[in-house]
Amino acid sequence: MQQAFKKAEKALAFLASVAILLLLWWLLSLGLKSPAVPLPLDAGQSLLQSLRGELLLHLGVSLYRVLLSLLLATLLAVPLGILLGKDPVIDNKVAPLLYLTYPIPKVVFMPIFLIVLGIGDSSKILLITLITFYQILVTTRDAAKNMKKEYVSSMKSLGASSWDLYRHVYLPGCLPAILTSLRLGLGTALAVLFLAETYATQTGIGFFIMDCLSRMNYEEMFAGIIAMGLMGFFLYVLLDQAEKFLCSWIHL
Amino acid sequence: MSVDYLSIASLHVEYLQRGKTITALDSVDLSLSQGKTGVIIGPSGCGKSTLFNVLAGLNDRYAGQVLINGQAPRGGGETALILQEYGLFPWKTVWDNVILGLQLRKKTPREIQSQATMILDKLGLLPLAKRYPAQLSGGQRQRVAIARALVLEPKLLLMDEPFSSLDALTREEIQDFLLEIWQETGLTILLITHNIEEAVFLGHRIFVMSPGPGHIEQIVENEMAGDYELRGKIPFLEMCNLLRSYLHRRKKYAAGV
Ligand SMILES: Nc1ncnc2c1ncn2[C@@H]1O[C@H](COP(=O)(O)OP(=O)(O)OP(=O)(O)O)[C@@H](O)[C@H]1O
Ligand SMILES: [Mg+2]
Repeated sequence: MQQAFKKAEKALAFLASVAILLLLWWLLSLGLKSPAVPLPLDAGQSLLQSLRGELLLHLGVSLYRVLLSLLLATLLAVPLGILLGKDPVIDNKVAPLLYLTYPIPKVVFMPIFLIVLGIGDSSKILLITLITFYQILVTTRDAAKNMKKEYVSSMKSLGASSWDLYRHVYLPGCLPAILTSLRLGLGTALAVLFLAETYATQTGIGFFIMDCLSRMNYEEMFAGIIAMGLMGFFLYVLLDQAEKFLCSWIHL
Repeated sequence: MSVDYLSIASLHVEYLQRGKTITALDSVDLSLSQGKTGVIIGPSGCGKSTLFNVLAGLNDRYAGQVLINGQAPRGGGETALILQEYGLFPWKTVWDNVILGLQLRKKTPREIQSQATMILDKLGLLPLAKRYPAQLSGGQRQRVAIARALVLEPKLLLMDEPFSSLDALTREEIQDFLLEIWQETGLTILLITHNIEEAVFLGHRIFVMSPGPGHIEQIVENEMAGDYELRGKIPFLEMCNLLRSYLHRRKKYAAGV
């Protein structure tokens, strides 16, 4: 009963936020009187129209790039982060390297990636992977480092192997932190995606938006912007739900 | 005389911390017969947990001889360890916590199912099987930790301050409960506590430890332990007082009185 009430309350708050957002947009559009910021209803219509055209294709390409990058980054960063976090000897050796390279804005390597890997998907995917890899790596390492010693000891006293320790202690124990870093990484990934798609490419939502800009097709341009925003939103919701499902022990 | 199930001779353990050597245990001798209970009591930092780490096979960098049933300690053997804060995994349900040891021993799903069900039922935990540790009371958590240890049918049960975070009533309840298990299974139990009454109630042999570096100061034989009716009786109180005097004497020495 109380839970149903809570759920209704949450849904209401969500709807209210959407309404406020639309209202602000509407006011902004009225105030600016610029073709770059159409009224919400007009924008919705042109979005539906664009989706029947090329937009869907570009959106698909972008989605593929961002999902593959995040997947690669996770698969690489999580095992490595746990390895560093649980083994101080290895960590001490790798820490200076991380310390030196972490603050470098990896996005400046884009031109090099373009030259070496060409203008295809691989240069973009690798760039996004590299950047999100660092975020996930550092978070995972810290989480593994802070793992309570009791958990490790009680596991070892059961005669656990390294793999058992990994599977039953470090991975589930670090999962909340990993998913948080993924949510943060998602924002970065989308920003880098946009940047990477605005250069030397003919596909992707970034290209679509900038192409519309150069053709002064503001209606479609705005549809592209909305589409990219919605893509970000749905990916975020997806991660949020994954967290609720995989880390149910936190939400008791 | 029965053969000692657990025997420790001249145990010496050092820790290396920032290049400095800390001697945690020195010249520790300890023995316990099969099916008996031993209690270790002593102030914070005297090396009690260090001793347990060696016995549980978590630390093999020690000098001296340690034999459990004639063999050097190792993880996953016939020894079960229950840690100071229970060491239950918050991301696993009660059921998953309890079956973990069985999974690691590559038991078949059928064996796992039946053994875990039996132990949880015996400890009155079956209705709580689907809960997470965070959804349990302190006493229930302690019982889950005991279930997780017992399901592996250990011969030696090590408990590091198992009841310290429980209220007085729950504490006595679980002490009685542990006694019951001991009588039923014939386990050898070694337990760490800061509580004098607990030591006298549960320990056939009480080891009083002192720091600087950690060693055993006094061994008190206490054959009356293991009787539910013991609490509050005259001999019980006398034994508590004796033990208290030992602990205080050690304190006075330390202060240079
Ligand atoms: N991993 C470690 N590295 C360095 N020193 C340690 C380590 N573990 C314990 N020590 C030191 O060894 C000594 C004994 O510690 P131990 O944890 O065995 O004490 P304890 O008797 O269990 O104390 P408590 O009653 O507080 O649990 C202490 O001086 C402690 O600082
Ligand atoms: Mg201790």
